[in-house]
Amino acid sequence: MYTLSRVTKLYQNGRRTVPAVRDLSLVIADGEWLAVQGRTGHGKSTLLNLLGGLDRPTEGTVEFAGTDLAQLREARLTRVRAQSIGFIFQTFNLVPTLSAAENVESALIPLRLGAAERHRRVTAALESVGLADRARHLPGEMSGGQQQRVAIARALAKQPRVLLADEPTGNLDEDTRDDIIALLEKLWRERDLTMVLVTHDSAIARRAERIAVMSKGRLSIRQDTGRP
Amino acid sequence: MFFITYLRRELRRRMRQAVLVALGLAIGIGLVVTVSAASAGVKKAQADVLSSLYGVGTDVTVTGSPPKPPAPGSAPPKNARSIQVTPNGAEECQNGKCHSVAGTTQDNLGSTSYNPISESKVAAVARLKDVRAAAGGLVLTDNRITFPRHFGQPGSPLPTPTSFNVDGADTGNLSLGPLGAGTITAGRSLRASDAHANVAVVDSGYARAGKLKVGSAVTIAGTKFRVVGIVRQPQGGSPPDVYIPLDRAQALAAGPGSGSLKGKINTIYVTADSAADIPAVQKEIARLLPGDTVTTASSLASQVTGSLASAARLVDVLGRWLSVLVLIAAFAVASLLTMAAVSRRVAEFGTLKALGWSSRRIVAQVLGESVTVGAIGAALGVGLGFAGAAIIDALAPRLPAVISSPTGQNFRAIGPGGVRSLSPTATHTVAVPLSASVTAGAVVLGVVLAVIGGLLAGSLGGWRIARLRPADALTRVA
Repeated sequence: MYTLSRVTKLYQNGRRTVPAVRDLSLVIADGEWLAVQGRTGHGKSTLLNLLGGLDRPTEGTVEFAGTDLAQLREARLTRVRAQSIGFIFQTFNLVPTLSAAENVESALIPLRLGAAERHRRVTAALESVGLADRARHLPGEMSGGQQQRVAIARALAKQPRVLLADEPTGNLDEDTRDDIIALLEKLWRERDLTMVLVTHDSAIARRAERIAVMSKGRLSIRQDTGRP
Repeated sequence: MFFITYLRRELRRRMRQAVLVALGLAIGIGLVVTVSAASAGVKKAQADVLSSLYGVGTDVTVTGSPPKPPAPGSAPPKNARSIQVTPNGAEECQNGKCHSVAGTTQDNLGSTSYNPISESKVAAVARLKDVRAAAGGLVLTDNRITFPRHFGQPGSPLPTPTSFNVDGADTGNLSLGPLGAGTITAGRSLRASDAHANVAVVDSGYARAGKLKVGSAVTIAGTKFRVVGIVRQPQGGSPPDVYIPLDRAQALAAGPGSGSLKGKINTIYVTADSAADIPAVQKEIARLLPGDTVTTASSLASQVTGSLASAARLVDVLGRWLSVLVLIAAFAVASLLTMAAVSRRVAEFGTLKALGWSSRRIVAQVLGESVTVGAIGAALGVGLGFAGAAIIDALAPRLPAVISSPTGQNFRAIGPGGVRSLSPTATHTVAVPLSASVTAGAVVLGVVLAVIGGLLAGSLGGWRIARLRPADALTRVA
């Protein structure tokens, strides 16, 4: 699914140049679950942004399904994100004025589907995360775990090929954390998704097929995933 | 529809801010509409004043050129009559011969403001291209002064002359000229058969002041005229006091230098085929009568002074600039608040971009929100404008309009103190009620301005969104 070749991302901080990712090469297979660990500020989120086309590398190539995302024009890149990549964020990032169903629907708007098809997908997505009865509730009326479920439904409603999750359980309590990870794992298996999940939590990371560790912008693969 | 739902919810979320922006725009738009309405009202008031001067339906007026004042020390023109007040008393002199006027009343009808024009020129003007009709008239002033028997002796005060305006109207063409603008409230108007009769129509204000009615007598140039009708001119007008047949006016009046006015007029009233033809007609007449003054309604506006003129200037200059300033302030507030709202929603827009929303789609959403607020501001503003106009109408302040014209008559008093002059001036001060009427154009202008304000505010926010990098926006969530 992804082939990253000698990717470097530099940021300017005043006169200083900060290397967020250095000379990173990585291959992520179709249907693989990759966990990315590392300390804060070492490039995990930058890697996720590059994989999602939210940012462009300073050097190197980021190939997604054979296409170098770094070379795409903004409009084309936006279409790739709309059709193929689902995002889940640590702080849920739901639109506070829209209900659960409307938040899920927001991900389908760029696809220009008919109203009936959008409704069908929204209903199916909310059912798959167990929140069909909360469709009309606003984010402020739901718990953290419920909001993250809505965010997962929003990411999956478009039937993406890739799911990118940035600390999806970072703002949740332990029990809810386990529920969310179990849900993600279930959906990953059922839908044959490629999933890249950034986490601080080693227990969560060990549930993945492979663990990558970011340290000062450089990536290394841990061999002891605990998963055959 | 998702777009409308999102828009509605977002405006509800920041209701206070939306109301503030809408109110700001409403005040600006309301001011524009009210100022436009007041301007329309002032223009109408001015037009009423001017139309009563020259009559409804008169597009162009031609007046004889003003006479040249005599050089100091020069001899008076031949046949010119002058009244001199010396220590020996008051004397009237003509062609070097003088006689005492003490104990007499001098009543002269004259036109010393304009040189006469040959009456044949009226037909020449009527034949011009784009001229529908033309009629001639005489604008005159009757000056009366009564000298006491012992006038001229030491300590005797100068008598006060009285004057009133007289219009010599063409009885065969009364639709043009000042009489055509009025409404007969008693008796009848002049008729073609009155051409050589000593009959008069009197202005209602003048009749009230002089306790005149149909059948009363007025004395003009020493001749008694019977009042056959009372005419009321449009509100705010400054009409002549008395209307008499042109032929009688020509027989009784004297021109500048005391010349005869038989076969002469000093004003031509002209109607053009259409409003668009007025400038061309003005040019043609000026070519035909190069020495005379050719004016249209717009150029006559400068004759109207007093509070009405001040109100016109106030509305035009101050009102317009105030509206512009308030609108700029409203636009600035709307833009700043929209930019602030966009700043607060950076993470939200970053998320939408991550979901695959294009910048164009997000900008359209923001523009929709700000244009909606602009439209609400427009509706409120138009309502405020109507309210402002209604208040002006209800208060209906009456503004004095002063129209003065010198009679050209001059009495010199020669005595121990030197030479003193009496120059009677005919002035009319009329109170014109100010009204305000909201025009469709003002409403459309208000709505357009409000929508522009909304678009401007949304565009600035949209520009911000277009430059937003999703990665940067999402970083701000943490």
